Amino acid sequence: MNTVIRRLTGHLARGIAMIWVVTTISFVIIRNIPGDPVRGQYEKLIEQGMGPDQAERATAALYGFLPTGSLWDQYTGYLNGLIHGDLGQSLSTPGTGVATLIGSAAKWTVLPVLGGTLLSFLLGVTLGVYAAIKRSGKLGDALAISGSLLHGVPQYVIGLLVTAIFTTLWPILPAGGPVDISFEPGFNAAYIVSLVQHATLPVLTYALASYGGWILAMKSSVATVLGDDFILAAELRGLKRSVLFRYIARNAILPLFTILALSLGMLFGGAIFIETIFNYPGLGLLLVNSIGARDYALMGGTFLVITVAIVVANIAADLLYAVIDPRVRTGGAA
Amino acid sequence: MTESFAPGVRVQDLTVVYRTPVGELPALAGVGLTLAPGTITGIVGESGSGKSTLALSLLNAVQPPGRISGGSVEIDGLGDVVRLTGDDLRRARGRQVGYVFQAAQNSLNPLKTVGKQLLDLGRSHDVADLPALLREARALLGRMGLDGGRVLDSYQHELSGGMRQRVGIMLALVLNAHLVVLDEPTTALDMITQATILRIVKEVHRERGLTTLIVTHDIGVAAEVTDSLAVMYGGRVVEHGPTMDVLGSPRHPYTRGLIRAIPRLSGDIGEATALPGRPPTLGTIPAEGCVFRERCPLRMAVCDTVDPAPAAYGERTVACHAVGRPVNLAVRKEYV
Ligand SMILES: Nc1ncnc2c1ncn2[C@@H]1O[C@H](COP(=O)(O)OP(=O)(O)O)[C@@H](O)[C@H]1O
Ligand code: SF4
Ligand SMILES: [Mg+2]
Repeated sequence: MNTVIRRLTGHLARGIAMIWVVTTISFVIIRNIPGDPVRGQYEKLIEQGMGPDQAERATAALYGFLPTGSLWDQYTGYLNGLIHGDLGQSLSTPGTGVATLIGSAAKWTVLPVLGGTLLSFLLGVTLGVYAAIKRSGKLGDALAISGSLLHGVPQYVIGLLVTAIFTTLWPILPAGGPVDISFEPGFNAAYIVSLVQHATLPVLTYALASYGGWILAMKSSVATVLGDDFILAAELRGLKRSVLFRYIARNAILPLFTILALSLGMLFGGAIFIETIFNYPGLGLLLVNSIGARDYALMGGTFLVITVAIVVANIAADLLYAVIDPRVRTGGAA
Repeated sequence: MTESFAPGVRVQDLTVVYRTPVGELPALAGVGLTLAPGTITGIVGESGSGKSTLALSLLNAVQPPGRISGGSVEIDGLGDVVRLTGDDLRRARGRQVGYVFQAAQNSLNPLKTVGKQLLDLGRSHDVADLPALLREARALLGRMGLDGGRVLDSYQHELSGGMRQRVGIMLALVLNAHLVVLDEPTTALDMITQATILRIVKEVHRERGLTTLIVTHDIGVAAEVTDSLAVMYGGRVVEHGPTMDVLGSPRHPYTRGLIRAIPRLSGDIGEATALPGRPPTLGTIPAEGCVFRERCPLRMAVCDTVDPAPAAYGERTVACHAVGRPVNLAVRKEYV
């Protein structure tokens, strides 16, 4: 158990360092916006007749740090705010906290990303085993080729293709948005069906975009395991095919968990294209909109959340790894 | 368990080829070898001479890019295993023929305990009484100086190389196979453990009335445990006969060189003379003539063109043009 804790501590330390770097970059960007709008806002409020104290607090609420004072004071003030969960106020949606905006966008990203990734992971891994074992068969070849082809196609192209197919050529699914607004939100059938219908194309796009990669990764991992001595030994002991298959699959899938963690984290960033195409109000779209509106506090907050997602995904994958691989659990040599 | 049926094995004209960039090359070229029921046969030869390929052929388990391209391997009770396929072949492996793999240190699934893998083995061969299988495994491990209960609860990475080899031997014996093939079973062990393990293999062999084949590159090991000894060179069995005879009066020039190259345990190291030259690899085995001629002190004109066929001289089989003429060599006493 000790090893797991040691690895976890390492991950946490690295994660915190990563988060710190991202927040510092956000601070530098916001602090150095051309024209210094932070200072400008402060002076504007004073001109409008606010007292210096009040103007300072109002500006700080907007940008997350004090408009006056040394760079160091501003920086520590900013970090202090973040630690207390204060991501500042959105400029483009006045009167709304960045945290609130991110919170409501996150749920539209997390479910499709998780759903799409897990779907393609399961499919790709299963078919990858098959493609590796039936290397010489027609179906095996077809699977490997489909994997390579799909792997090379960028996400947004796949997104545009499925949109063209399912909303124009064969219009059975809605083209965009998260849900049909004519339904009453809540736990009722019509609303849920609408949700699922709207989520189908984004999920399908996530799944198709990563499925090819999973087939290829699993195929090469299985090929490596097939060359391992213990598989030949198991064959020489006359183990049943089903047992042999489990030995191969379980050993081959292990290295893929690291990739799964990384790709989950990356997908939160990659959601940008897919959410834009489907006008799906998740984190990616929020980030795009915040950049368009020069809403720096919102940008910083979204970056931060995406970074945290990557860190959390990494830690989750590591824990999963420890559950599956006894060598990690007991700290033996790999 | 007491029913003892030691199968005889007849390998005839066996040819195994490996696909290489320059085409299929023979790793075994028309090998013949008979294992008498109830005996321990040893195979010795330098690395690359085809020992493992021959051992794998007994299970029809030559791995791609290799394949058996000709010949037969008759095992009593199984028939010609070269023709066995599918589930018949799978059932023969493990149940009828126990196999200790050359890389036995890596012969375990790293993600499962030894005990779980033992149960997988039992279930794969429809063993009804799994608790008895576990007891048998613990007993075998105990005989080999291990704490059986602890080993069954361990993962591969928790065991040393020597412990893993003993687990490999246990897995080959635990289903009570009557033919046991051990490919360099003790390479990861120190001399003392090695001797202990081989003694146990020999004991189990006697108790159960097995037919056993041990591949080794250690002539000392072969002298210790085998009844009969086959010497391989360049994909051929160049000499085969009762172990004492082969070591006491070797007849093939290669066997003589091999024996002369061992330093005497109680003697002058300087007396050992290494065999000059290197063993051939797949690509350098000559297409015609004797495979040993480049290193042979007795080479004659005929050796360059005609591959010597194995010929029987009493209990001995030798493949050499120079044999049959009177030979006069110092007999090494320590193996007699
Ligand atoms: N997978 C393989 N591909 C190509 N050649 C091989 C392969 N396995 C073995 N060989 C060749 O076959 C010959 C016999 O090998 P092997 O049976 O392993 O010999 P030994 O066990 O006596 O060391 C060697 O020349 C070796 O290089
Ligand atoms: S056949 Fe000729 S070359 Fe080959 S071992 Fe005999 S004497 Fe030497
Ligand atoms: Mg070998």
